[in-house]
Amino acid sequence: MNAIETRKLTKRYKTKTAVSELDLTVNEGELFALLGVNGAGKTTTVRMLSCLSEPTSGECFVCGKSCIKEPQAVKEIIDISPQDTAVADNLTVFENLRLICGIYGYSKEKTTAKIEEMITLFNMDEVRNSRSKTLSGGWKRKLSIAMALISEPKVLFLDEPTLGLDVLARRDLWSVVEELKGKITIVLTTHHMEEAEHLADRIAIMLEGQIAALGTLAELEELSGKQGLEESFVAIAEKYGKKAAR
Amino acid sequence: MNKINAFAKRNFLEIIRDPLSYIFCLGFPLVMLVVMTLVNESIPAEAGMTVFRIDNLAGGIAFFGLTFVMLFTSLSIAKDRSGAFLVRLYATPMKSGDFIAGYILPMGILAVIQVVISLIFSYIVSLIVGVSINPLGLLLAVVALLPTMILLVSFGLFFGTLFNEKSAPGLCSIIISLGSFLGGVFFDAESTGGVLLNICNVLPFFHGVKAARMACALDFSGDFFIHLAITAGYALVVLVLSIVVFKNKMRADLK
Ligand SMILES: Nc1ncnc2c1ncn2[C@@H]1O[C@H](COP(=O)(O)OP(=O)(O)OP(=O)(O)O)[C@@H](O)[C@H]1O
Ligand SMILES: [Mg+2]
Repeated sequence: MNAIETRKLTKRYKTKTAVSELDLTVNEGELFALLGVNGAGKTTTVRMLSCLSEPTSGECFVCGKSCIKEPQAVKEIIDISPQDTAVADNLTVFENLRLICGIYGYSKEKTTAKIEEMITLFNMDEVRNSRSKTLSGGWKRKLSIAMALISEPKVLFLDEPTLGLDVLARRDLWSVVEELKGKITIVLTTHHMEEAEHLADRIAIMLEGQIAALGTLAELEELSGKQGLEESFVAIAEKYGKKAAR
Repeated sequence: MNKINAFAKRNFLEIIRDPLSYIFCLGFPLVMLVVMTLVNESIPAEAGMTVFRIDNLAGGIAFFGLTFVMLFTSLSIAKDRSGAFLVRLYATPMKSGDFIAGYILPMGILAVIQVVISLIFSYIVSLIVGVSINPLGLLLAVVALLPTMILLVSFGLFFGTLFNEKSAPGLCSIIISLGSFLGGVFFDAESTGGVLLNICNVLPFFHGVKAARMACALDFSGDFFIHLAITAGYALVVLVLSIVVFKNKMRADLK
């Protein structure tokens, strides 16, 4: 079964079509990158897949369950780290993680074990008892992602996980994401070429709400006849722009 | 239940860790208690005006404090709605009822704590100024204020859901000033009478304050239950209304 499947998925706002007839499949255990410039429709796509926004038309499925007809079932198996860091300000790192465990109804033992697991995975021991509003952006973001991961999702959505992080913090987060590779399905959005290049099994280049090209890095290079993702991206975007202009 | 519990705990912690809540929910009402007691001391006995005497003031100030619980309810909901935190919880299996209960429960607990502290303070003041209040009356006043607590927390939910963190406090302050004025906390509504008393009678605030005052005085005549029933009726209506509004708003947010 595909982890994610969309059929002509479309989201139209009053004056703007944010996502247009998107057809996409993501395999189980895959790390899939949605790569695109500002306003390409990445967040909108992720929001529809995580039942935070209703499609205008089309359909989308997560692990075979319809986001439109069975949102409750989908919500059980997904989690999202939103583009903006989403943590409870006046709670400590520990308490934030415990909150999510409570929402998912974990036993006391499981809660303790999962919190320790996350604190170890994200190297958060030194800040475990700090209120999250006192944390730096990098720590907050790690916490925000840990809060998504602690619910043991089958599919994890990371909307620009390294936004606003410095080089070292980004590398740090990459290594965490790499550890998850293969264990769960991850959909990651980014506009950093190196990030997609470094982490993703497959990359979808998103332009103006549509997928302009999709494949492994090698496939995208072959398609564009260029070396490296950045060059390929530019070539594909230019070709797509010409096509759209015609 | 797990979900509600976890979320309620978070909301409780968020509020009690905010120093502003102490200033408004405790500091301000207690200062008013002292100020109004001083005012009362300077009213000549011949005037026969007793609304500001501590046995009458106790229930009024407890109500006044509760209006700030409303303010903080609306603020915390409006803040949550403007940030990404609530959005992330929308993607969990939490349902709208879990959110509503998770907001109302901790605020209800805070309201009870608030009332208890302010009545204890009134008792201390009563000992100082030498006016006797029966402690049992104060205990029953807590019960008599329960409908008012539900009313004000529901107002908080209502404003916090419909307005952002900038306008919600403004709207709440209208209820704070109107409510405590028309509730007869800071003027003698009964001896003023006339149109003003009629307005007071139409709104729930006066009845809530009056029920608390009567409980303090251990006066459980028929009127007491009428005041209680009117407040409870209003509380129920506003509660249902705020729940409907929250559910609709959440549905609209997920459109
Ligand atoms: N609620 C909304 N109402 C109207 N237009 C919207 C709304 N949300 C998004 N849009 C528009 O839809 C388009 C796609 O937005 P989206 O946030 O999905 O882009 P993105 O790829 O995530 O961009 P970024 O890299 O800046 O995060 C944008 O043009 C945006 O202005
Ligand atoms: Mg985005």
